[in-house]
Amino acid sequence: MRGLVPPRSAIRLIGPLTVLMTWELAARFGLVNTLLLPPPSKALADLMVLISSGYLWKALYASLFRVICGFALAVTVGVTLGIAMARIRLINDFFDPLVELLRPISPLALFPLAILWFGIGDGSKIFVIALAASFPVILNTFAGARSIVANLVRASRSLGATELEIFKGIVLPASLPFIFTGVRLAWGISLIVIIAAEMVGATVGMGYMVLEAQQTFRTERVFAGIFVIGVIGFTTDLGFRRLRRWLLPWYRETEA
Amino acid sequence: MAIESGQELVRFDGVGLTFPGGSARRPVEVIRQLDLSVQAGEFVAVIGPSGCGKSTLLSLLAGYLTPSSGRVLFRGKPISGPGRERMMVFQQPALFPWLTTAENIAYGLKLKANRSDGRNVKETVAAMLQLVQLDGFARHYPSDLSGGMRQRLEIARALAVDPQVLLMDEPLAALDALTRRTMQREVLNIWEKTRKTILFVTHDIDEAVVMADRIVVMAQRPTFVLEIEEVRLARPRLREDDKVGKVARRLSTLLE
Repeated sequence: MRGLVPPRSAIRLIGPLTVLMTWELAARFGLVNTLLLPPPSKALADLMVLISSGYLWKALYASLFRVICGFALAVTVGVTLGIAMARIRLINDFFDPLVELLRPISPLALFPLAILWFGIGDGSKIFVIALAASFPVILNTFAGARSIVANLVRASRSLGATELEIFKGIVLPASLPFIFTGVRLAWGISLIVIIAAEMVGATVGMGYMVLEAQQTFRTERVFAGIFVIGVIGFTTDLGFRRLRRWLLPWYRETEA
Repeated sequence: MAIESGQELVRFDGVGLTFPGGSARRPVEVIRQLDLSVQAGEFVAVIGPSGCGKSTLLSLLAGYLTPSSGRVLFRGKPISGPGRERMMVFQQPALFPWLTTAENIAYGLKLKANRSDGRNVKETVAAMLQLVQLDGFARHYPSDLSGGMRQRLEIARALAVDPQVLLMDEPLAALDALTRRTMQREVLNIWEKTRKTILFVTHDIDEAVVMADRIVVMAQRPTFVLEIEEVRLARPRLREDDKVGKVARRLSTLLE
């Protein structure tokens, strides 16, 4: 009997496949309004058109470029500021109130302002992404650099480490799991912000593509776009988890 | 510059220590007029009521704390800070979780301060692994080791930089009873092989009698040296032995 049990990954496919099949059949047999809910096969066909015409790549390239620029800025600024705030009191006292005041503001509330300042192109998007995504990086880096076990630093000092060696050899590696969590959250936020920003004001990009499809009533294209956005989010997060296992092989999630 | 066995290595000279109070806390006097002399190569156990300041004694010697009055001398000179000739072995091992067993041992050797030693890192690491019987675990991370193995690794990392005294702060307290007895033999073994001076804080009177040349009995806080017991029994000693029991009983009445 044991040989007949399918692998777990196969079992986990049953749910999504059932939903897709039901949806497809309901659309084909006219049980739902296909103008509002076209069958998945039609969305897939439109996706093929998007790919072969090159339109998808153009939109994807525009969006990912903005995301990567904003994200890179957020990580650079966030890690630097997080560590500086954790180590230097004056810097903490200066930036902490600013972070706490700006953090609750929805990044999209700042978007109209960003368009005024940086125009309708890439600049405004990169700005809001960098701002929104830097908060989780700052906060997690700060928490990491503050949570270092005192005896690790003591042991290191006894062994003869200088302040710089303690920073590079103890503070940084000890903060790394926290930084990584912040970076992963920042990436997720970047993906959310870019779509919303491109729906509010853009001339190219994934968010713009979906919105334009909705306005011209091409519902199958709306679904095709949503599908691509979902795949990007899923695969990149998977990539982050792999990256962590590779970068931090010593880290056990349960211990943190 | 090796120091002869039997020469004075450590001296507490009328040492007092008071932790300054904060806004809501009163100052706490931990140590008052403490005198103690330790010879090179000696195994000295320190016992006393819990919270009396046994660990504080080791922190002074490690250079993590400075006395409020009196002097702590190492080879005749006042201690000015942490140094690798006085290595601490912590109760909860302060191993670097992001380094493997071998890398933990090598950490101290690779620091700028110790590089001029001319000691071969690879050979020293191999020798240490063998000394503490972790040969097969060089590539394991601390989180993959058992409690007893972590404690042995902590000892190996300390010994790697060739200290003159090992400061062991209840190093076996976190271990189960069986592992603890094995580790007592291990520590004695290592001591006999390396002939390092050991200051060994414990709350287990039997452990002190089984292991030490001399036992320092500390008073309630503010603590000082209540009595020093010389144990003139041949090793290996068993805690079931009548002579061991007799010494232990006398010490325990002292502490009541």
